[in-house]
Amino acid sequence: MERMEKSAVPADLNVMKKNDLRLIAALVILAAAAFGGVMLYARLSTKEPEAVVYLEGEEKGRYPLSENITIEIRQENGNCNILQIKDGKADMIEASCPDKVCVRQHPVSRQGESLVCLPNQAVVEIQNGQEAEIDTSTN
Amino acid sequence: MKKIYRVFILAAVLTFCAGFALLQYQGQRLERYQAQFFDCFDTVTTITGYAKSQEDFSQKVGLLQEKLMFYHKLYDIYHTYDGMNNIKNINDAAGKEVVKVEPEIIELLKLGRDMYEKTGGEVQIAYGSVLSLWHKYRQEGIEHPDQAELPPQEELNRRAKHTNMEKMILDEKASTVYLSDKEMSLDVGSIGKGYAVSRLAEYAREIGMEHVLISVGGNVCAVGGKADGTPWNVGVENPDSNSSQPYMCSVELENQSIVTSGDYQRYYEVEHVRYCHIIDPDTNMPPDYFSSVSVQTKDSGQADALSTALFNMEYKVGLSLVERLPDVEAMWIGKDGKIRCSSGFKCNEKK
Ligand SMILES: [Zn+2]
Repeated sequence: MERMEKSAVPADLNVMKKNDLRLIAALVILAAAAFGGVMLYARLSTKEPEAVVYLEGEEKGRYPLSENITIEIRQENGNCNILQIKDGKADMIEASCPDKVCVRQHPVSRQGESLVCLPNQAVVEIQNGQEAEIDTSTN
Repeated sequence: MKKIYRVFILAAVLTFCAGFALLQYQGQRLERYQAQFFDCFDTVTTITGYAKSQEDFSQKVGLLQEKLMFYHKLYDIYHTYDGMNNIKNINDAAGKEVVKVEPEIIELLKLGRDMYEKTGGEVQIAYGSVLSLWHKYRQEGIEHPDQAELPPQEELNRRAKHTNMEKMILDEKASTVYLSDKEMSLDVGSIGKGYAVSRLAEYAREIGMEHVLISVGGNVCAVGGKADGTPWNVGVENPDSNSSQPYMCSVELENQSIVTSGDYQRYYEVEHVRYCHIIDPDTNMPPDYFSSVSVQTKDSGQADALSTALFNMEYKVGLSLVERLPDVEAMWIGKDGKIRCSSGFKCNEKK
C-alpha cells in the first residue's frame, strides 16, 4: 500500500499542477475582469459637482457648477430666491426674505457647503464637490 | 479528478473568506457624514461626524436634535410650551411669583451671573427690558426698511433702570427663579445657545460619538478631533460679504469651542447706518468697536458669553480680560478688516 501511494503522488501532482494552473488562470482572469468592472463603474458613477436646491426639505432641482446659470427659486406662496452659478460657485444674489442673511453668505463650491434661507425654508447644498479644507465656520 | 474538486473547493473557500473579511472591514470603516436641521435657536445647525453607516449617523443626529430642541424650548423668551416652565414663564411671573424650573435653567442662569461678574457687566442676561425694545424696532425696520427708526433714548434709559441682576433670585435647592422687579426680564440670547451646545457636546459623548463637530449658527464645538486623529479646521468668517475671501483665517479645534459675535449678519439700517443686534449695557446702543470678535476656549457657554462681552469692550480692556482668564483666546476683526489676536490664539493662514 505504502509503496503504491508513494508512486501515485507524483502522477497526481502532475494532474494537480495542470488543473491548478488552469484554475489559477481562470481565477486571475475573473478577478481582473471584476476589478476592471468595478473601476469602470466607479468612473462612470463619479458625478460632477452640483448645487442641489431644496424647499422645505424636498429636492427641487440639481444644477452642475460647471455651467453659468441664474435660477429663480420661486414658491407658490410668492417667496423667491435667486441663485446664481458662476465660475464654479453657487451664490444667493437676491431673496424675498426680510433678513437677507442668505444673500450675505459667501458663495459656496465645496462638498457639503450650503446656502440657507431660513425664512423661505430654501436650502442650496453642494454635492459631489471637491473636499473642503474647512470643516465648518464661525460667524 | 477528485483532486481538482478539492483545489476548487479550497479556492472557493479562500475567496469566500477574503470577501467576508473585506465586508467586515468595510462594515467597520468609519465614513464621514453631515446633517443639517433648522428648527432650533432660529438658526442652522450642522452636525459633522463619523459613523459605520448612514442609518447609524442619522439615528444619533436624531437624538442630538431632540436634545437641542429641549434646550431651545427651555431658553425661548417668545413662546411658552406645555409641560415645562421656560424663560418666558419666568419673565411672565416677574414681580408676581416664584417659578419652579428645570436644573438646566438654574445652571444657565448661574453661568449668566458668573459671566456678568467676570466681564464687569458687559454681558447681561437681566437686560431683557432694553433688548426687547431694540428687538421690536429692529424687526419693524427689517420688515419696512423705509420706515426704520431707532428706539427713543428716553424709553431706553427708563427701561435700563429695570436691569438689576441682583433682582434675579435663584434658589438652587428648591430649583426656583424669581424676578423681584416686575418690569425686568431675562434675555439669554448671549449665552443660551453656547451653553446648550456645550451640553449637546457632552451628550454626544454619552451616546458614543467620539468625533463630532457641532455648529449651531456658527457657535462651534468639537468633540474629539477628526477620525484620522487630526483636529477639525474651523474658518473664521470674513465680515465683508462682498470679499472673494470667505474666511479671514482658520483655527484648529479639538475638544474645544469657538464662538463669534459680529455685526454683519443680524442688523438693520436707519438712514444708512447699521445697527446690529448686540447692545452695549453701558450705552444701551449697539457698540461700534469691531466687525466681529471670536473666542476660543473649552466651554462653549463661556465662549458665547465672552464673545458678546468682548464685542462690547474696547480692545485693550478686552485683551487684558482675556489674558487674565485661563485657557481663553480671542481674535478681534476691526471695522477696517484688521486682525488682532490674544497671545495664545493660533490663527492659520486663510485658505
Ligand atoms: Zn433669505
